[in-house]
Amino acid sequence: MLTPIEEALLAIMMVVIMLGMGSSLTFKDFRIALRHPQAVLVGFASQYLFMPLIAFSLALAFNLTGPQTIGLVLMGCMPGGTTSNIFAYFSKSLLSLSIMMTVCSTIGAVFLVPILMEVYTAGVEGHLRIPPAEIIGLLFVLLIPTFFGMWLRKRNPNKGALSELTGSLVGVVVIIFLVVTWIPRNYQLLLDTAPGVFASVILLGLIGFAFGYGFARLLRLDPRKARTVSLETGIQNGPLGALIVIMVFSGSTQQEVLVMPVLYSLFIVMTSTVATLYYRRWTRLEELARDQAKVEPAG
Amino acid sequence: MSKTASYDTAPWARHYTATMAAGLPALNHASVAGMLTEAASQYRHQTAFTTCMPNGMYGSLSFAQTEDMSNAFAVYLRESLSVKPGTRVAVQMPNCLSYPVAAFAVLKAGCILVNVNPLYTPAEMEHQFNDSGAEVLVIMDMFADKLDAIMDRTPIKHVVMTSVSQWFPPVVRRVLNLVLKYWNKAIPVHHVSCTPMDQALETGRRLRDNRGIRVRDYWEPLTRDTIALLQYTGGTTGVSKGAALTHGNLLANIQQIDTMAGAHMADGQECVLTALPLYHIFAFTVNLLAFYQHGAHNVMVPSPRPIQNCQRAIENFPISWISGVNTLYNALLNEEWFNLYPPGTLKAALAGGTALHRAVAKRWQQTAGCPIAEGYGLTETSPTLCFNPLDNARPDSIGIPVPGTQIRIVDEQGDCVAPGERGEIIARGPQVMAGYWQRPEETAKSLKEGWFYTGDVAYMDPEGYFHIVDRKKDMVLVSGFNVYPNEVEDCIALLDQVQESAVIGVPDDKTGEAVRAYVVLREEGLSGMDIRQHCKRYLAAYKVPQSVEFRPDLPKTPVGKVLRKELRAQLTQEKPVAMSPGSNKDRANKDNKEKVA
Repeated sequence: MLTPIEEALLAIMMVVIMLGMGSSLTFKDFRIALRHPQAVLVGFASQYLFMPLIAFSLALAFNLTGPQTIGLVLMGCMPGGTTSNIFAYFSKSLLSLSIMMTVCSTIGAVFLVPILMEVYTAGVEGHLRIPPAEIIGLLFVLLIPTFFGMWLRKRNPNKGALSELTGSLVGVVVIIFLVVTWIPRNYQLLLDTAPGVFASVILLGLIGFAFGYGFARLLRLDPRKARTVSLETGIQNGPLGALIVIMVFSGSTQQEVLVMPVLYSLFIVMTSTVATLYYRRWTRLEELARDQAKVEPAG
Repeated sequence: MSKTASYDTAPWARHYTATMAAGLPALNHASVAGMLTEAASQYRHQTAFTTCMPNGMYGSLSFAQTEDMSNAFAVYLRESLSVKPGTRVAVQMPNCLSYPVAAFAVLKAGCILVNVNPLYTPAEMEHQFNDSGAEVLVIMDMFADKLDAIMDRTPIKHVVMTSVSQWFPPVVRRVLNLVLKYWNKAIPVHHVSCTPMDQALETGRRLRDNRGIRVRDYWEPLTRDTIALLQYTGGTTGVSKGAALTHGNLLANIQQIDTMAGAHMADGQECVLTALPLYHIFAFTVNLLAFYQHGAHNVMVPSPRPIQNCQRAIENFPISWISGVNTLYNALLNEEWFNLYPPGTLKAALAGGTALHRAVAKRWQQTAGCPIAEGYGLTETSPTLCFNPLDNARPDSIGIPVPGTQIRIVDEQGDCVAPGERGEIIARGPQVMAGYWQRPEETAKSLKEGWFYTGDVAYMDPEGYFHIVDRKKDMVLVSGFNVYPNEVEDCIALLDQVQESAVIGVPDDKTGEAVRAYVVLREEGLSGMDIRQHCKRYLAAYKVPQSVEFRPDLPKTPVGKVLRKELRAQLTQEKPVAMSPGSNKDRANKDNKEKVA
């Protein structure tokens, strides 16, 4: 895991990133996101109904051990992370929607994660509870910089644009840092881990993307909103999962459970990067097509 | 009533409001420079120009700054470069803060402004520099590499270099330059010796102070008959030639636009979005000059395509007017951020360039909740000839002649046709150009007894509103029957699977000419036979395309007009035309006389 200094640095970077993301937004963007409130509900449902179920099925399918199952299901239950907002921004999805979904699922986590864990991993020792301070801290890191960024843009679009550019640069740096430093520092863990574990953590993210997209399209959200839901569903808050494991479990069980959030966090950065590049191209093509499209007949 | 009288009695005048009916008021100024100076002193502290980049970065100039900088640049031209009055100065850049400063300076220095399309190929630039005899060029760094190959073969002696980030706040300017250079790779290396814009202004200011120069002395001798602008246009022969527009032409057209729309403008309070290029006559006269006179804030977008590039400009500034072409309005209406929450500040939209589609106009009114008025004009007419009154705009019509303009519809012999009949539209008025630059024969062909022959086929309806049918030279003659490509294209456009189409005439042994359609599909699944069958249902047999060719795209001008000429040229590709080939985009203004405003 990361050292405390690295963690502090990462937290600061997160604030810079969210400030930048916020600077790309106006209140109009949130109104557009809210025009389809079902998008938030779809996200909520895929997050808390389907992701735990997918995680549980994957654990069964790959014959994971008890502690590994707990780790994977816990990841399935986690709310969306701030990283999902960064990827939503880079993929040119609807950032405002992504942020609203993250906020809703994070607040929901306080009540839903303990219930879901009870359902899927009944009989596991230890009282699983999400510390509310964590949640408040998370929202703080997410919302305050976002609103500040929006205010900055409204007050001075130049400062907004500079902050947006800085935020996205830092975002790229953080993503590259996570990917590049992760493998050397954890290669022993990678060597010791069974293929089934790899498969299950990678698939959890991928199935999450596919499922989020398909479910959103089924409920008639437009492709861009569906892509937002897709990223939001697939990308879970890995660090929060790891934190909970550390707080709840101890000893060798802790090590065994912890593997899941840690591995998930590594691979989700990679799969999200690929998905983001793909979605970005897709958005671009849509933009060009709209630019060319015939006007719809006036009603 | 004679046919001539049915036009010359101005039946459209009954739609004039009191201001319009009073006719064109006497011009207040002898030159555009005088108008600019007065406006600047009136609105000194207000913002005149803003360039807004797609990422939201912007830079602005106040009226006072614009005045001061353009004065300094005028002094630089006259004193440091020692150019004489009447010297041609070329300005080649997309919309940016340097454009108004450079253009105004040229006019104040008593020189002749030559607008050059930045997307031109080196060969096209060479032709235009030589034809106009331009001695000075103000160019943007993004396009300077094209000079390397041609500099020695042009009369250009001095180059002033500017950039899109010119006069942005210092930090933003540096960051933007880095982004443009390393991320967008938009600033190529060039080997032309040049003076940076900042340095030119510095020199100009120093000379002004040291020698006690009054810029007023440069422009006070100018008269309304002095040539102000050479605006290049393809014309029917295909060779690009410069329409010589005088200070009087431009001032008159500004005044005419004013009588049509001025009542809706609050002096010093409007904010106009300039997404169309200022080097094009529509934006030049309407956005740059007419709105400046009213103290409006001009928000310029350097590159409006794709349309998302305009989003930050529309969101961050209180846009009250937009000028654009059909494709721009269409694209805006397709954007969720626009059509769900159109800016509440919008007052009116002006359309020109190509026909405004009825569906676009109707949806615009429903969505944006403000009138959209279509107008008509050409490069040679500064450009506005006709406009729809804002509170009485009619769909599918170019409106009524602007005050002070006479319009007739004539046949091949130049005689008026009966009202309602189709013929060539000809115009007379204070906005009609003096002639083509150094081309007396071309001028004589288009200008007869003060009447300008537009080459457009139109008719007047019983109300006195005019309707464009097509370009005269695009008309296809099938066994002696006239086929207007627009009519066939409109019919093909009814098919949902069709994105767009272009219709031209091809030589045919039996019928002289035959109709051919080039079609771009939005989705697969339509055959040429389907299209012909569809046309048969709506059109007379001789108008139905005899052949249909599918294309991935169509050649177009920068304002989105389909270049039928280009398609005809492709047919006879074995005999290439004089100009070296460029991409479609690069062909730019080579189009026929541009139909604008």
